[in-house]
Amino acid sequence: MPTSSSPPPLGSRLWGSLTSIRLTLFLLLVLGLVAVVGTILPQDQPLPQYLRHYGDTLGSLLYGGGLTRIYYSPWFLAPVSLLAANILACLVHGLPQALKRCRRRLTWDTALELPERGRFSWPVEVDAGPLVTTALSQELGRPRKEVFSDKEVYLYERGRFRPLGPYLVHLGLLLILAGGLVGKFWGVEGRLPILEGETAQAFELGPQGEQPLGFQVRLDRFQVQFYEPGSAPKEFRSDLTFFINGREETRRTCRVNEPVTFGGLTFYQSSYGAQTTGAVRLKVCQGDDCEVMEVPFRRMVDLPQGKGQVMVVRLDGDLQGYGPAVQLAFRQGPGHPQVFWVLKDHPEVADQPGPFRFTLLAVPFKFYSVFQVKRDPGVWWVYSGFVLLLPGFYLAFFRPSQRWAVVLEPTPTGGVQGRLLGASPRAREDFAARQERLLDSLKRGSHQ
Amino acid sequence: MISLVLGGVMLAYLLAAILLMMSDLWASPRLEGAGRLVLWAGLGAHSGALLGRWAASYGAALGHTPAAGFGEKLQLVILQVPLANFYESLVFFAWCLPFVGLLSFRRHLKGYLGAVVAILACLLLAYASLGGVDSRIKPLMPALKSNWLLIHVVTCFLGYAAFALSFGCANLYLFQARRPRPSLPPLGQLDRLIYQTTTLGFLLLTLGILTGAVWAESAWGRYWSWDPKETWSLITWLIYAALLHARLVKGWPGRRIAWLAVLGFMAVLFTYFGVSFLLTGLHSYLN
Repeated sequence: MPTSSSPPPLGSRLWGSLTSIRLTLFLLLVLGLVAVVGTILPQDQPLPQYLRHYGDTLGSLLYGGGLTRIYYSPWFLAPVSLLAANILACLVHGLPQALKRCRRRLTWDTALELPERGRFSWPVEVDAGPLVTTALSQELGRPRKEVFSDKEVYLYERGRFRPLGPYLVHLGLLLILAGGLVGKFWGVEGRLPILEGETAQAFELGPQGEQPLGFQVRLDRFQVQFYEPGSAPKEFRSDLTFFINGREETRRTCRVNEPVTFGGLTFYQSSYGAQTTGAVRLKVCQGDDCEVMEVPFRRMVDLPQGKGQVMVVRLDGDLQGYGPAVQLAFRQGPGHPQVFWVLKDHPEVADQPGPFRFTLLAVPFKFYSVFQVKRDPGVWWVYSGFVLLLPGFYLAFFRPSQRWAVVLEPTPTGGVQGRLLGASPRAREDFAARQERLLDSLKRGSHQ
Repeated sequence: MISLVLGGVMLAYLLAAILLMMSDLWASPRLEGAGRLVLWAGLGAHSGALLGRWAASYGAALGHTPAAGFGEKLQLVILQVPLANFYESLVFFAWCLPFVGLLSFRRHLKGYLGAVVAILACLLLAYASLGGVDSRIKPLMPALKSNWLLIHVVTCFLGYAAFALSFGCANLYLFQARRPRPSLPPLGQLDRLIYQTTTLGFLLLTLGILTGAVWAESAWGRYWSWDPKETWSLITWLIYAALLHARLVKGWPGRRIAWLAVLGFMAVLFTYFGVSFLLTGLHSYLN
């Protein structure tokens, strides 16, 4: 930074702060804080939820201020855009120089400008050349040798491409952010529930409405499997058939972790459920006195002789692997209903409060399966960003650049004088240790 | 059987910590040798217990998912890696500490530094076996049935372990900076170790986040969902990114770097424990 009395022009001051590491550190901190808020404050809930939780003033302030959709609000987008600009500015600022440095191989004349690390001299009878080669090879690797009329120069260089490392990493990060934008603007994402046996033409795009698939898809069958009854689910599986203009194209199976792609859209198994296709047949017993009745889904039905009311509240096509089941709400007189499950094939599993005993005779239903449907052209940007990060990290952290040179010159008395030159700006400790060992082995057989 | 071995391993780590600490107090190379030996023995037995659990988990899986042929069996072996619930992750985290410690500290893993590693590993194992954590082997839920499980969890926990070591070094650094003690490692060395372990952890955490993103893309159809665990690992990543920039580009002095390393590890702990217990989200199958 020039410290002249007249302030530098606004443009260069702006550029200066845009490329400054202080801005980077500040933005990293701000983004961290925004993310903390985003995890503490529940996101994407409807307004009444916040009003109930945080009171009218604070709740509407949070909602109105965009804090409840923080990752889509300026709170997050502004610092992340600034960070992208910061990274981009640093790339523009430093990449040409880094490229230039990578192109510049260590040559004898640049090597002579390296700082000197030690001097030694050998008597006439010692052949210094092989000694230097051995010492360098043992500590570093095979050196290059250049011979001139008045001197010999041994060169060794490692990590020449190290300066590229940080730029690759930051380029990768920019690609990832760009991929996010590409997905946001050119991608689509929606939901598609299909009932078994039915064919869908379009999928739901949130509140905006529907979007045609461009083809047809039929859910042939949905299955949920459990490891054993009462234990965890093992697999959710949807068998799909795809049609174009009514002609069958292909049959595919979609599972969790195994999405299906067709016609540029990818289908992910996201959830499932069951839906009745007719009235549920129940047997109601009090002692030995039994009666069969038909109960439509979610409609309150009176028991015979007005002994109470019953409603089928929920249906499960396979309750924890025990087969079909319905949840009943049963009420005698006023007051709160009792809610309990009745299983068709395993009635013994669930208790009933009584005094009536309900048995499930028939429950006509079909499964439905819900898919997440999406197309995201940004994914490949993101993935190429990931791929760039890896060599970038390798170069940046594991290939510190080191440049070494040993210059041998004849002395007037007929012996040889040697100088060890070298530098490693980013690995000083490692460099110092190597320097000590090198000097040790070079001085072996020398005068000092 | 396996829990018995793990109990022994826990005691071995405790013993190693005591021996290593005493070796510094009395400047005794013999005690140091003994401490290192016990630590190695503990790590060996710990590895055995992990493999045993893996075999048991594979055996249980064969019961409900019969696999024929080499390919299917290999697939099942990969899926049944014992990293599928909170207990297994604790045991693996504890294993990572001495492993990464021996890997990145090498000859510096002695004295107080070695004791810190052993104590942390011992505490994690104690929590796993005595903290009322469910240790039963359960069949794998559909969301976890993926080859990414192995690589994602392994990179994340190796990264956590590296950060734990950087935290240990940072504590020693802060202690040493306030009240210098000749028996503690010199400040320069601690500063270098903080940087080394942070670099390793940062690399591994980045890999963990990347593999997680690729997995999420194929399981949930979204490489990033702002799930609390994801978000907190991003927060952790941001803190360590700030640390590395401050040190590499700005050349901040050691004390501030040490404080950042402490802050970063707090974020790691919250990512691991806090998110699982306080916040719910897509990763909540860990409890």
